[in-house]
Amino acid sequence: MQARFETDRMDRGVQKQGRAGLRPGGGHGETMQKGKILIVDDSEMNRSILADMLEEEYKILEAEDGEQAIEVLQEHHADVALVLLDIVMPKMDGFGVLEVMARNNWIEDLPVIMISSESGSAQVARAYDMGVTDFIGRPFDALVVRRRVVNTLLLYAKQKRLMDMVEEQIRETERQSSLMVEILSHIVEFRNGESGQHILHVRTLTDILLRALVRKTDRYELSGEDINRISVGSALHDIGKIVIDETILNKPGKLTSEEFDVMKTHAMKGAEMLDALESQRDDPMVRSAYEICRWHHERWDGRGYPDGLSGDEIPISAQVVALADVYDALTSPRVYKPPLPHERAVEMILDGQCGAFNPLLLECLTENSDSIRMVMDADSDQAVIRESQNIVKDSVRTTPGDATASERTLRLMDYERMKHSFFSAMTKELQFEYSVTPPRLSLSSWAAELLGLEEVVANPARDQRIRAILGDDGWSRFSWEVHQTTPEEPNASFDYPLTYNGQTRWHSVVVRTVWTTGTPQRFAGALGKAIDNHDAHERMLTLEKQAARDALTGLLNQASARERIRKRLVERPEGRYAMGVFDLDLFKAANDSRGHQFGDQVLKVVAERLTHSVRSSDIISRTGGDEFMLFLEYNTDLERTIDRIFNSLCGDYEGYDISITMGVSKSENAGLSYEDMFREADSALYAAKRAKKRQYLFYDSSMKDVLRAETDVNERNGRN
Amino acid sequence: MTIQECYKAIGADYDDVLGRLRSERLIQKFVLKFLDDESFRLLCDSMAAGDLDTAFRASHTIKGVCANLGFTRLGASSHDLTEALRGRDGAAAAGLLDRVKADYEQTAAAIRAYKAEAGL
Repeated sequence: MQARFETDRMDRGVQKQGRAGLRPGGGHGETMQKGKILIVDDSEMNRSILADMLEEEYKILEAEDGEQAIEVLQEHHADVALVLLDIVMPKMDGFGVLEVMARNNWIEDLPVIMISSESGSAQVARAYDMGVTDFIGRPFDALVVRRRVVNTLLLYAKQKRLMDMVEEQIRETERQSSLMVEILSHIVEFRNGESGQHILHVRTLTDILLRALVRKTDRYELSGEDINRISVGSALHDIGKIVIDETILNKPGKLTSEEFDVMKTHAMKGAEMLDALESQRDDPMVRSAYEICRWHHERWDGRGYPDGLSGDEIPISAQVVALADVYDALTSPRVYKPPLPHERAVEMILDGQCGAFNPLLLECLTENSDSIRMVMDADSDQAVIRESQNIVKDSVRTTPGDATASERTLRLMDYERMKHSFFSAMTKELQFEYSVTPPRLSLSSWAAELLGLEEVVANPARDQRIRAILGDDGWSRFSWEVHQTTPEEPNASFDYPLTYNGQTRWHSVVVRTVWTTGTPQRFAGALGKAIDNHDAHERMLTLEKQAARDALTGLLNQASARERIRKRLVERPEGRYAMGVFDLDLFKAANDSRGHQFGDQVLKVVAERLTHSVRSSDIISRTGGDEFMLFLEYNTDLERTIDRIFNSLCGDYEGYDISITMGVSKSENAGLSYEDMFREADSALYAAKRAKKRQYLFYDSSMKDVLRAETDVNERNGRN
Repeated sequence: MTIQECYKAIGADYDDVLGRLRSERLIQKFVLKFLDDESFRLLCDSMAAGDLDTAFRASHTIKGVCANLGFTRLGASSHDLTEALRGRDGAAAAGLLDRVKADYEQTAAAIRAYKAEAGL
């Protein structure tokens, strides 16, 4: 009965495999992967009942209490598609699990079905309140459980798709509105005759200063979203200038006080323009832009315009943009002045030569000098954008809470990067990137450390240390391998020895080359990785050396024949075995008179004859030179078998009379040892040769003292 | 003894459980597994030690397992015990425990008899 049980299980297993093979989706719904389901229940039996219902379609993970469930989720929560959760459990109950899932934001994208005999409506309501998708009471019905699991998974898949779509739309809207703002502000700048970079600089600087401010103080309640809004809105700070007469706006010399009064109206005019956007007036973005336009010329000491606000009466958005505006005006070239260096600009601002600012903001400015200088010194828009993105990313790390969609993406990217570098160190991959212009080799930090190089090596082709690692002509050999690739087939992989830490070790190198986009496409660089595979490489070489077969005759070589014989003796010790060792008589003479090629031909013919005269289960080998060995199992008449083999081996080949002499040993006498059988067969061969060539002799104890060593020394010349 | 007769001896509802689990093989598997379930021993031990929290969980598990297997009689007595233990009413629980013990013994005895007879 037990056995039948087992068979049942096995049958099911096989059937399961077959189905999985035919239908990779493994179940209901074409779009669904074979999902993992976590079953949490303290009763092994309850888990087992559920697992039995579901394991054909899903992979099952199990946990026997709430704490274990959390452990499993911590490790696998991205892979788990659904949780089936019991309520009453030791250590941590089902509600505890739901709480932790809520805290980690898992409950949002990981559906939970509660299964419990706790059917009190208060319990059920609490479960739903805490975010479970469904509730199944005990006793449950197999069909219902399966159907609800499927429904829940389908529902979540649909919801996930919808969420992705919404997220994509939000991102697109963000992109478009930021594009419109940029176009608008560039029109203003164009009319101003300012460089197109002013807007960009102010925006970047605003972002840096606000994030620095948030790290410094919680006086201004600024969420990540607020900061983004203010940064985008900063681009509009001068839109009021569009109504200022061009003769005043672009007057080369100093403005008269009347002209300056006109100029000053741009702040209020900009604000009015935004206020006139009736339908959008209350949009948070428009509110921020309004504050910035109207008050970006106010001063901390109350002596600014248009309203003479002081201190924190001035919205923080306008305070920050005012400082950014002044800083960029100082550090950028204007028709009337050269750009000032960062240090000088900061000095003038701190001195109060360019207005009065919030002391906290001045601290932010001085404390973040490095990143500000880096961004502002960058010589192209691209660089600015890239750097500002980096800074945004830094800030994401330091600003807790309010993660927007794009911040979450950034965090994921960061996480991926961290994971990648972790795994590259774990798997001991030396990762590298090479560019042709400028000639530069970049290494992952782990690789740089291991090789004792910097992370970036200039002119690697001429670098002595690289030469030491790759070998003397290594660079060109390496290049040659890499240049086997084409733009269409950019991948190459090869084994290469690298020398570092005083050792030369084989590495498996995988490279992908990078090509220019023009015509013709030129080689621009490569990226790849090298993994130490020295041990595997060595093993391969040894194996090749020990390759089972002799190249000339295709027979087993001695090492592999020995292995097989030993194995046979161990596996079937009840058998009776014989071993024959023979060589060719006067083979040297044949070689001398008819040439080595003919000699090789003779060896091949002997091998062929030998092959044809034994059974496939027998073991035959060319043990070296003109020496051969055979090993066979016999039942009755061994002598007849040996005689037949001997006769089939001897005989004419192209006018040459092949003649052999053989010694034979038997396991009956020698025992089940390869060495002993070989020694006895060899002694018999020697005894035979001494007596008369072209014969075979069975070993007997009278040959015991005949030593192989003697054969070697004395017969070297005489026996052929 | 068939599995149906075993259910009858236990005072359990075979048709109900077959309707839900839909496989005689599964029912047989889980009924036999019932003997290995530690919850009953845990219940007795924790009641003896006055550990009502653990006793509640154990009783609750027995109740759940009985529901799944259609063991109506033991299910009912363990339900009453579970409710008494939910209120941590030790005196009431002690009274109800005897009934659960009797029902469990009867259930386990029937399953053991079935197991022996089927030569499992």
